[in-house]
Amino acid sequence: MTPLQRICASSSRIVISLLLLLASTTTYAQGFLKWEADTVPLFRGFAVSGDLAGLLQLQLSDYGQYEAALKLNLHDQYFPIVEVGYGKAHHKEDEVTGISYRTQAPYYRLGCDVNLLKQKHTDNRVFVGLRYAFTSYKVDISCRPFVDPFWLWDTSFGVKDEACSQHWAEVVFGIDASVMGPIHLGWTVRYRKRLAHHDGQMGKTWYVPGYGIQESSRIGYTFNLSIDI
Amino acid sequence: MKVRHHGSPLLWGGVAVSFLLACSSIECPVQTTVALNYGVYCRDASGAEVVDTLADTLYIWTRRKDGRDTLLMNRGVGLSSFSTTLSYNHPEDTIIMFVTDTFQTWTLDTVWLKKTDIPHFESVDCSAHFFHQLDAVRSTHYGIDTIMIDNPSVTYDTTPTHLRIFFKNRY
Repeated sequence: MTPLQRICASSSRIVISLLLLLASTTTYAQGFLKWEADTVPLFRGFAVSGDLAGLLQLQLSDYGQYEAALKLNLHDQYFPIVEVGYGKAHHKEDEVTGISYRTQAPYYRLGCDVNLLKQKHTDNRVFVGLRYAFTSYKVDISCRPFVDPFWLWDTSFGVKDEACSQHWAEVVFGIDASVMGPIHLGWTVRYRKRLAHHDGQMGKTWYVPGYGIQESSRIGYTFNLSIDI
Repeated sequence: MKVRHHGSPLLWGGVAVSFLLACSSIECPVQTTVALNYGVYCRDASGAEVVDTLADTLYIWTRRKDGRDTLLMNRGVGLSSFSTTLSYNHPEDTIIMFVTDTFQTWTLDTVWLKKTDIPHFESVDCSAHFFHQLDAVRSTHYGIDTIMIDNPSVTYDTTPTHLRIFFKNRY
């Protein structure tokens, strides 16, 4: 592990620990799954949201995603959610390795969040949740032709429209705060675990739509703008 | 409404998390050698295959695309196993094995190795590599008694013996 990797890993652990500590002080976790007995109806409406972090990532780097979600509000306590996105990566001929990588495909997540706050019927939420996610995508991988350094044969490298797929699960922690009327801002931090994957005949893939870069995307994040309907 | 007061710091916390998690790293395998491993064997009195040690000196070379010879191994002495590279993307490699003893007695054999080349991708940050599936091997038999495929899959894993080679008794 390089020093940079160690720093990243340590920083991530510290930040997550602090956030969990903060969550534990702002909530009363005991019995958070208990149904709050009151006169508030079960169905409290919908919220639609979009992920601004993925959009920004797409503008600043050569991969990212558009993502929207539809969340159902059940008694301000349970929030079944469907997240649909479209992930893209277009890495043009790497300066060092000469490898190009291209993929674009939709992805889907299905799950549920639980509001951790003791007073649930407010405009703000601190929540944990689970997601099951799936994507089926095709990749183009190519490398500029090069000469075999020892044998001097001309060499080419690549595949086109290689079919790949991945299933994964996510544990989500996040907050959602009302900023103006029905408009909310919030973020989530996600721990991802691959459940199954098919990477095609090349051995591995690089960017997986909705998951991110393989090997280094165990921790992900979203920054959401949502509107209550 | 206590949480309303926490909303802003928590949102900024989210931004901080985003920056911290934005660290990127390059994760290429440390071990990227793809080599063909030979094991030197002989048969004992019962006919069982046992590891042998080549008492004489082994040189290995090949012919490149430009027609020139190039050395793959120089002065290998006392070998029970050895390794050579494979071409990245050529269906058959031709290898010359030259074995000589201290009396300057020598034999020269040619080994032809047919293989299927499999491009292997790790990441856009990692160099292109090829794995190989060994399909067939044959040789002349001046100094080599037998050569056979033991494990046909040549990858980053450097531990398996891919080819078993039996030299004639005088070695």
